[in-house]
Amino acid sequence: MLNQFLPFLTALGEQTGVAQLYWGNVLMMAIGVAMILLGVVKKYEPLLLVGIGFACVISNVPGSSLLQPGGLFADAYLGVSMLILPPLIFFGVGAMTDFAPMLANPKLVVLGAAAHLGIFVALIGAKLLGFTIYEAGAIGIIGGADGPMAIFMAVKLAPQLLPQISVAAYSYMALMPLIQPPVMRLLTTKKERMIRMKQMRAVSRLEKIAFPVVIGVIVNLLLPAVAPLITMLMMGNLFKEVLVTERLAQAAGNAIMNITLILLDVAIGSTMVADKFLTVSTLEILGLGLFAFVIGTGSGVVGAKMMNLVMKEKINPLLGSAGIASVPIAARVTATVALQDDPENFLIYQAMGPNLAGVFGTALSGGIMLALLQ
Amino acid sequence: MSKDTLTFAVILSVIDFVLCFVMISGIGGIIYLLRYLNRFGKLDETKMRL
Repeated sequence: MLNQFLPFLTALGEQTGVAQLYWGNVLMMAIGVAMILLGVVKKYEPLLLVGIGFACVISNVPGSSLLQPGGLFADAYLGVSMLILPPLIFFGVGAMTDFAPMLANPKLVVLGAAAHLGIFVALIGAKLLGFTIYEAGAIGIIGGADGPMAIFMAVKLAPQLLPQISVAAYSYMALMPLIQPPVMRLLTTKKERMIRMKQMRAVSRLEKIAFPVVIGVIVNLLLPAVAPLITMLMMGNLFKEVLVTERLAQAAGNAIMNITLILLDVAIGSTMVADKFLTVSTLEILGLGLFAFVIGTGSGVVGAKMMNLVMKEKINPLLGSAGIASVPIAARVTATVALQDDPENFLIYQAMGPNLAGVFGTALSGGIMLALLQ
Repeated sequence: MSKDTLTFAVILSVIDFVLCFVMISGIGGIIYLLRYLNRFGKLDETKMRL
């Protein structure tokens, strides 16, 4: 009797994931759980980490049908690889963003470029480690701290590295409150951190409406390679600012953004499968990404200090670190660090200027890189 | 020149970084000019809303 059942039980066992499970899957599941905990307990970007972490756990269950063609995770990944989701994220961000801080103080826009030195340090570092120039370019963009842009560049230049690059970009963006402050404090004195900024001028509705239209045209003219992202950012912003398309702006900033975010979380998490992810190159990319964030934060602060050498009215150098693109995380970190030295020094509005400029800085870096490499 | 070399990576980085500064300064200049639109008139936000 047992002899007859045993083959059936063996065959049944082989069809389950248990037979294929190995230590790598278990390790990745633990990483997924850690991401969920970081989001839930520490509140580090829960909208990203909880979804990515859950998809990572499930994707490491061997044989999960969600990853097979036709499965939801596989379909969500198509949205990334076909470059549908990153522009939609930009669309939502545009509909939620008030560009007035950037329009009110155009001088600070330069900080959006200064804080991107990390991109190039990481690019050269990746080349030194033996990555191809295309892979190095895609890895470098992690330093821009712009998730959709990092995905966009990875798909264009090195699709095989998309999992590592997207995970590094989004993880470090979530961990910016831990990464940036030590660098900011190291490069500034308490006196510098306590510099107060004067109140900015009010920006008119006409300026706010003209801005997305003008930038949309310029980006499509000069940098068609990254135009899909910036164009959608500007379209979302136009919907917000014209006041007559409030429904569309609400949809872009809420429903569309949330759906896209869920799909993006699932797509990124589903790429964190042990056999592809647990490699030496993953560790190298994570290391380079962290290095790029540190250098970018530092170069932004140094850039702001250099501006102070020539400007009559001094700016708080902490604003430089907000030049990293991650909106509004970098601006929030700047404001938090400033408040620790002077509880009445509210920099959040001023920090949003370079922070928004950082989005353009990363897009420009990426667009120029694509133009030079392709 | 082969693109897949360290030398090209350094050249690419320098060109990209400098051009990024130039272009973002250009965007800053355009943003600065936008304020002059206000000379042509003012939009009435109450009338604009549906």
